[in-house]
Amino acid sequence: MLKRLLVLILIAAAFNGYTQEQPDYNVENIPSALKSRANAVIRNMETTVDMRAPENVILNVKKAVTILNKNGEQAAGLYIFYNKATSIKSAKGIIMDAFGKPTGKFSLSNFLDESAANDFSLFEDARIKKYVPNVLAYPYTIIYEYEIRYKQNLIIPDWYATPYSDVSVEKNTYTFISKPDDKIRVKEYNYKGSPEVEKTDKLTSRTWKVNNLSALKREPYAPDPDNYLTYVKIAPEQFTYYGHKGNYSNWQELGKWVYDDLVKTRQTLSPDIIQEMNDLVKGLDTDKEKAKKIYEYVQKKTRYISVQIGIGGFQPFEASEVHRVSYGDCKALVNYTQSLLKAVGINSLYCVVYGDSYKKSMDVDFASMDQGNHIILCVPLKNDTTWLECTSQDSPFGYLGSFTDDRIVLACTEEGGKLLKTPVLTTAASLLKRKAELNLDKDGNINGKLQTNFSGSQYDNYRRIIGKPTSEQLKLLKEEYDIDNIDFSNLKLTQKKDSNPVTSESLDFTIQKYAPRTNNRIYMVLNAFNKTNSIPEVRNRTLPVYVNRGFTDEDEIVYNVPDGYSIEAKPEDREIKSPFGSYTIKVKMEGKKLTYNRKFVLNNGTYPADTYENFMRFFSDVSSSDNGKVVFKTD
Amino acid sequence: MKLFCITFLLTFFSTAYLHAQDFEYGKITGSDVELKNTRLDSTANAMVIKEFGTASVQLDNATGKTYIDFEYHVRIKIFNKEGFNHGNIVIPLRIYRDGEDEIKELKATTINFTDGKLVTTELDKKKVFTEKRNKYVSLTKFTMPNLMDGSIIEYSYRMSLPSVFNFKTWEFQSDIPKLHSEYIANIPAMYNYNVSLRGVQKFAKQNAELKRECLSINGTKIDCSKMTYIMKDVPALIEEDYMTAPSNFKSAIYYELSDYVLMNGGKKSITKTWKDVDYELVSEKAFGDQMKRKDVFKELLPQIIGNASDDLSKAKAIYTYIGKNIKMNGFIGMYSETNIKTALEKHSGNTGDINLALIAALSAANLDAEAVILSTRANGVVNNLYPVISDFDYVVAKVNIGDQSYLLDASQPLLPFGLLPLQCINGNGRVINLKKPSYWYDLKASQKESTKYILDGELTSDGKLKGKLTTYSSGYAALKKRQRIVAANSVDEYVEKLDEQMPGISILKHSIENVDSLDNQLVEIYEIEMKVFDNLNADQSYFNPFFIDRISKNPFNLNERTYPVDLGAANEERISMIIKLPANISVADKPKDMSLALADNGGKYLTSTAMQDDSFIFNQVLQFNKPIYDSEDYLSLKEFYSRIIQVQKTDIVFKKTK
Repeated sequence: MLKRLLVLILIAAAFNGYTQEQPDYNVENIPSALKSRANAVIRNMETTVDMRAPENVILNVKKAVTILNKNGEQAAGLYIFYNKATSIKSAKGIIMDAFGKPTGKFSLSNFLDESAANDFSLFEDARIKKYVPNVLAYPYTIIYEYEIRYKQNLIIPDWYATPYSDVSVEKNTYTFISKPDDKIRVKEYNYKGSPEVEKTDKLTSRTWKVNNLSALKREPYAPDPDNYLTYVKIAPEQFTYYGHKGNYSNWQELGKWVYDDLVKTRQTLSPDIIQEMNDLVKGLDTDKEKAKKIYEYVQKKTRYISVQIGIGGFQPFEASEVHRVSYGDCKALVNYTQSLLKAVGINSLYCVVYGDSYKKSMDVDFASMDQGNHIILCVPLKNDTTWLECTSQDSPFGYLGSFTDDRIVLACTEEGGKLLKTPVLTTAASLLKRKAELNLDKDGNINGKLQTNFSGSQYDNYRRIIGKPTSEQLKLLKEEYDIDNIDFSNLKLTQKKDSNPVTSESLDFTIQKYAPRTNNRIYMVLNAFNKTNSIPEVRNRTLPVYVNRGFTDEDEIVYNVPDGYSIEAKPEDREIKSPFGSYTIKVKMEGKKLTYNRKFVLNNGTYPADTYENFMRFFSDVSSSDNGKVVFKTD
Repeated sequence: MKLFCITFLLTFFSTAYLHAQDFEYGKITGSDVELKNTRLDSTANAMVIKEFGTASVQLDNATGKTYIDFEYHVRIKIFNKEGFNHGNIVIPLRIYRDGEDEIKELKATTINFTDGKLVTTELDKKKVFTEKRNKYVSLTKFTMPNLMDGSIIEYSYRMSLPSVFNFKTWEFQSDIPKLHSEYIANIPAMYNYNVSLRGVQKFAKQNAELKRECLSINGTKIDCSKMTYIMKDVPALIEEDYMTAPSNFKSAIYYELSDYVLMNGGKKSITKTWKDVDYELVSEKAFGDQMKRKDVFKELLPQIIGNASDDLSKAKAIYTYIGKNIKMNGFIGMYSETNIKTALEKHSGNTGDINLALIAALSAANLDAEAVILSTRANGVVNNLYPVISDFDYVVAKVNIGDQSYLLDASQPLLPFGLLPLQCINGNGRVINLKKPSYWYDLKASQKESTKYILDGELTSDGKLKGKLTTYSSGYAALKKRQRIVAANSVDEYVEKLDEQMPGISILKHSIENVDSLDNQLVEIYEIEMKVFDNLNADQSYFNPFFIDRISKNPFNLNERTYPVDLGAANEERISMIIKLPANISVADKPKDMSLALADNGGKYLTSTAMQDDSFIFNQVLQFNKPIYDSEDYLSLKEFYSRIIQVQKTDIVFKKTK
């Protein structure tokens, strides 16, 4: 992963020192609309970024926040991230009671110092200083002022008008100061109006202001908050970063810098390795076959280990070093694979992506360095562009999966940056197809066989099971099929790793006492394996309905029932069609054979907020049908 | 759970020569290369081939201080990619007030057998990272280079530990199997440690011998006892759901200094008998001294107690006051981190600060208050044979009023008076009294976790169920609900969330009683409406009465169990409903009445359905009477749940009569 650099939530407030004129922070003065659903209120906040020089950017934050209840505590804590390129110059604050009367103060010496490394990393140089107040009675107000110096200006932290969804904002201001001849690119998102600009001979300042923003309610199936939050991104054209200098004003130039300055120089391979690669692909005709061979070589040889120090947050290890130690992070492994491909004459592209199961693209109109967190490799073969996830030791050649599919990425090439779109794993292709044939006996026990194929984004459904020893797989499978008394045997998991990869399972199973009886009635839930849960209701839905990923599930279960069983009641055949997807069930009894068919399609997409009620109803209908029981009667 | 001790006497040494020593670094044998996981554990992704450690007490001539010198050496076979994470090594080092653990002479090598040759790759020293995690711990981290299926990794280091109080612990068991684990502890004759061994694994070899003049202090030569412990073929410790702290079961050897001999021949007792411990704790600055600080509360008391006249009300007032005035700072401990006066002023302290302050305040009000030291569940069980003070990690208050005793923990909000948090309910605690000798005390939850639902409703002819649902919760059940109400900010928002979570059921009206009176049961009253049928026109309709807190999944779905099943607390849930039916509806069939019981009064499940006039009455009781069940009980628990799930799948069949 790229470094989670400066994921700084900018919070600040204005006050003119402690002794001077102090605004009145009596809790009484908070407008009541701002208290609704809010756990805390930012009374006043002022963030100033003063770019004195590329290697001297001062961030000053002043913040006064009133904590209304226990759940607002997260907004009271101050968490300052730092590393070698970021030093904390000062931090202090005071605490006030509900009447705005000071009751205590604190300074940098009261902060705890801890490592801020991600759990997935072996090592990162990121650290955090944190202060969490101990105040017993709510509400109370805490006022901070802190100043940080960045020794780089490649990444200017984004400013958000509402830093937390459950915190309302009375007043929040952002000022960016630069030299008059500094070229600065700015983009406001969801900001009404334009910034105030002030110019003097020495300085240019831009100021954004917001007032009276209410707290937001968390809603399920909501879009990426960046679609509706107000925030500002700033990128200076001339920049410096850990001794590297450059300039960019668009993706083309940024991509060029990344390639020229960070990547190109890291690809030297010894003649031995080059020879080894050429030997490896000897006899293969097409570039695609060669690329596949090399990709599989990398998968077999390397493993993912994340180490992030300084420029190493953006710059890969040397390819030769990866070759020696057989590990690296995403940058290192992509760079290594790219170097090996180059050794056999295949061109490929180092691509920056925001990797997450939640799809997120580069902003086409605004280039900046902080929009990605992961690197993948694109191999532009003739009419057959192939994408490679180099950190995985078992991904099929050309398969990206739901972590990086369907989004815009930045390819960093010799000719400069290019925005490319990764392939889409569509709703139709993301298919689960299951067939089961079962025998029900008179004691309500079931035994049978089951076969399932998973493709598209569902290919990875069994990622945590595949590759495990069998006894472990059987245990994990009980979490997939969490049915009382289920037991498996003859489990076979296979993966077809071609251009349309498929994971397949086949197994035999028994479920003791699946269909209980009362006097002469037998109850059996038909949909044994694939039930959908209902989703919460939401009163006064405000945000659009967003489905990040569509899929298609098809289940067919054939039950052979004992002699003398007749159906007294069964779930009705059902066909639901809606903009969100479709759902069909069919139940058919022919002789002693009861066939259950289910098809559930959920479409990805964005729908207006007022459709949430229908969306919820759709799930609720599916869920109640999924739990439908058949009632048999015996003679 | 087995916990026994090894006693050794310095006068009773075996003289037999025991071959026990470190193995040669990097000298790989054919059997190492050939080792497969068919040996010992076919599910193993990695296995320790050999592991050797030795610890001794040394004197730092520069400072004149003793320290523990520990050498570690291990060889691990990595069978496959799933085992690669065992090539990422993290060594935690403690940071003390006046020193820290230090690591040196670290070397690490990966050995691969490719094309008939052994190929070694050394760890690059520049790739060893030190990360200061927080004020107490720093981590030395590195990853092995060039891992592939079948790699052998080997590393060794030396560590110096400034604290001789706990001699170096050795864990024979870990999350991968070990073929050979060997530990040599060289303990100078002047030190006497209490040694305890946990877990069920047996020693393959165990030996004690005398080692002459192993340590020299101020020219005096001191003999050592050289203790050797070897375990072979140790299986991996696999964690299971509902498991008490894994450290209770992990085979490991622990030491705590009990006494040592001074250079002048005198003996300094560290921990020997409870009498010594009592004396020490009572006079300890961060413990007994804090209990004694009645002065802190002298002036505050009238204000805290108000007009409470009897002892119980006074105790309750003090308990509430401490809970509201000192917030837990996130650290637990049995000692005061600062002191209770500062904690009270800063409104912040560890659990030790808070509960020692509680004891001092109770004593200041002339109540009979004692301290109870205990080990939290995550920390494992305490050794009952002799005092091992480092087994304890928590302190609570015990106040005796009349013939009643109440256990109090003021560091956790929302607990009723007299109920300890679940994490403290863990075997025995030791009561420390300022004046009397200490004694063991059984830590039991004073209230059952209990929930009772009463539904009084009516099925209307349009297929709706309308009625009043009243829920009574007490003990930990009430605690959990109160925590959820606090998390939701208000009762209204709590109910709104509840309503949203149940799309089929609407809550029309609600009231919740005793949200803040923690000593009473929490009462929720909801007027509900739920659509059961589209209409009641069919000749027959099916209604499932198990819609309240239905059990749809068996928490015990596996076929075998190694460790006891820890449910936390005994609990009970009762549901009773009376539903009036429309005049033309009668009951044609119903779920069987059930009466299930677990052995030894471990639990029961009862259901009954009956018609009474125009209403049907349904009752259900589910009880678990023990917090912990033996691993042998796992299958009965599984079957118990299975029977519940089966009956809950069956319906009441309504028939139209007219």
